Amino acid sequence: MSWKAIDRNQPVIEKDAAPVLSEAVREKIRSFFPRYETKRAVLLPALHIVQNTLGYISWQAMAEIAEILEIHPADVMNTTSFYTHFWTHPKGEKVVTVCRSISCEAMGGAKMLDTIKKELGIDEHGTTKDGRYSLVTEECLAGCDHAPCLLINEKMHKCVKAEDIPTLLADVDNNKLSMPRSDLFDPPSEKQAASATMQDSVVGTTSDVSEMREAE
Amino acid sequence: MAKIIIDSQEIECRDGVTALQAAIEAGWDVPHYCYHPGLSVVASCRLCLMEMKMPHPQTKEMGWAPKLLPSCQTPAREGMEIRFNTEKVKKNQENCMEFFLLNHPLDCPVCDQAGECHLQDYSYKFGKAESRMVDQKLKNPKKDIGPRTLLYSDRCVMCTRCVRFTQEVSGTHELSIVNRGSRVEIDVFPGLPLDNPLQGNVVDICPVGCLLDKDFLFQRRVWELKRGESVCPGCARGCSISIDHVDEKVYRLKPRFNPKVNDWWMCDEGRFGYEYIHDKKRISSPLVRRGLEQTTPNWEDVPAVLRYRFEQFVKAQGGAKVVAVLSPFMANEEAWLLAKFIRDVAPEASLAIGPVPYEGDDQIFPAKASGDGIKFTILKEKAPNRKGIESLLESLGGSTLTCEQFVEKAGAGEFMAAWVVGGYPKPWVDKDTAKLAGKFDLLVAQDIFENEFTTKADIVLPACAWAEREGSFTNADGLSQPFHWAIVPPDGARRDGQYLFEIAGETGLFSAARVREMMAASVPNLSQVYESQRKPAHAH
Repeated sequence: MSWKAIDRNQPVIEKDAAPVLSEAVREKIRSFFPRYETKRAVLLPALHIVQNTLGYISWQAMAEIAEILEIHPADVMNTTSFYTHFWTHPKGEKVVTVCRSISCEAMGGAKMLDTIKKELGIDEHGTTKDGRYSLVTEECLAGCDHAPCLLINEKMHKCVKAEDIPTLLADVDNNKLSMPRSDLFDPPSEKQAASATMQDSVVGTTSDVSEMREAE
Repeated sequence: MAKIIIDSQEIECRDGVTALQAAIEAGWDVPHYCYHPGLSVVASCRLCLMEMKMPHPQTKEMGWAPKLLPSCQTPAREGMEIRFNTEKVKKNQENCMEFFLLNHPLDCPVCDQAGECHLQDYSYKFGKAESRMVDQKLKNPKKDIGPRTLLYSDRCVMCTRCVRFTQEVSGTHELSIVNRGSRVEIDVFPGLPLDNPLQGNVVDICPVGCLLDKDFLFQRRVWELKRGESVCPGCARGCSISIDHVDEKVYRLKPRFNPKVNDWWMCDEGRFGYEYIHDKKRISSPLVRRGLEQTTPNWEDVPAVLRYRFEQFVKAQGGAKVVAVLSPFMANEEAWLLAKFIRDVAPEASLAIGPVPYEGDDQIFPAKASGDGIKFTILKEKAPNRKGIESLLESLGGSTLTCEQFVEKAGAGEFMAAWVVGGYPKPWVDKDTAKLAGKFDLLVAQDIFENEFTTKADIVLPACAWAEREGSFTNADGLSQPFHWAIVPPDGARRDGQYLFEIAGETGLFSAARVREMMAASVPNLSQVYESQRKPAHAH
């Protein structure tokens, strides 16, 4: 069937479907207009707002964003599909992002990934039936000195061992796992060790989104 | 004019062009995909990279820059020195070609673009014979993206010309880039297909066989096609086009570069408006009616028959009762020959212009653009030569009529002999005009399809479609442009120019250029024509 062409003339949005974006969401998007010269420039904030509210950006949401920003829906599709951050189909409550780059691979990343797959019963890009977990892999999470690492939503978990996985996944608050440095990493100098009462405080925080936010 | 040095040769280039454009115009075949002179520059294909002399940051001494630079993005400046003939540049071209071909399917034997494909040409000229790719090729899907267009994304090289076309020229934004990296594709938003009046151009500017015209799909191999240079008769703008034909059948129309009229583009209405040429219902032979008797005369006898009939009429009823209706679909030369014949037999005869069809409003692209922002216009006046006929009537003087005046006067019975020229691709005789058909003692109808005039005419002459004729059209801006015949008329018919030439009393073969010379004395403003320069084959 290699000569079969996908029919793109058929609409994917139902004609009389109720709008998916509430007036509050629309107003939030419009509130960004004064910040930029053009309405088109509000596209990225709008995508973030919609994903944070709905969990993902559906075809209909794209069309509605396009309507608010006065651009063509194809332009919204263009940007949405460029960023892997944006989901075009429903995702689980917790998105587990596993690093598949070389450092994590060397430190047992594959075993970690297999354990997660077994634990959740899904494959990469899959979502559990109860809608609680989605599993994806990314190229590098910029935490090579804490390999192997993974993200659960926006929280980075470092030096994850396969046996930690069940606790990690079951943790409702997503904050229970300590984050020791890798054994391969140079130990902190004596001076640093003296000043640090807890091991956590010497761990670099550069790659942790939530910690960066707290610092702000 | 700036002087620049390419491969140690000094050349002159136009002001304000890029180094790539200057090189192409000077005859260098520099490979490029993403660069198109009518679109913005993105410098993404990296095929046109060149070496350039630049001042050293510290010593200010001129020397070849260590990095290759995109020639499509570098403006040509006075004294600039660039080169394409080095190992470094060639190596880059080879490597780029290898990347372009990584996932490209080897389906040239069934690909419509084969033969005019720049991926084929460039792999032959600049690429390597073999690929080092050992992995499975990524295969992107084939997509039906609109009523007239298919997108085979497995063949795409991601030059994004089509996307930029819909953004910058048509202004309709239907096409977009989805995903990224090796999974990148061109796509439309499902349910919002590529369907605008200029969409056919994306097929022309696609350097490979990714965007395909459903109308031409699997019809012919392009190397079999012959190319005739012509002017589009679809509206009064007169876009330069080429007629791709073989075996006396037109397969497709494509725009020809013409900076004064249409740049690189044409509209779908003109592009797909040629089908009437091959209509089976066309009138294909002359016809003479005497009462109930109908005969098909030999073409050799037609001039004498016509001259005799008109002379007899003028003798009996006077020349002031004779009128010739010149259609806005006639070429200037044909109209002049007919006017010459009519004024020959009856110097006081009237000349009128036929009805000019109008449809809707002028359309500009991008919509809401103004001034220089307007990239393309489709006019509501759907006839190619109103201006030419009007200017001919003005120059010839005597009794000339507008279409309304003709309808009024003919309705009042002021004319008893008429030569009515049609040649419209769509039915043109409305109710009021149809009533006139029975009012003449002598009626000659020259038309392409049967209508009220041809059924009542004493003499019917077959008119030819523009693709079969030769002459010049004067567009809405007053620019006269020549067009040449591409195919021969249907069996039994002759070119309008040829029989009008003989009817006007000339002998030999009709040639539009010769008639223009003959016209120079009486109609000087139509005797000069403008033909745009041909683009070199490597400029695309």
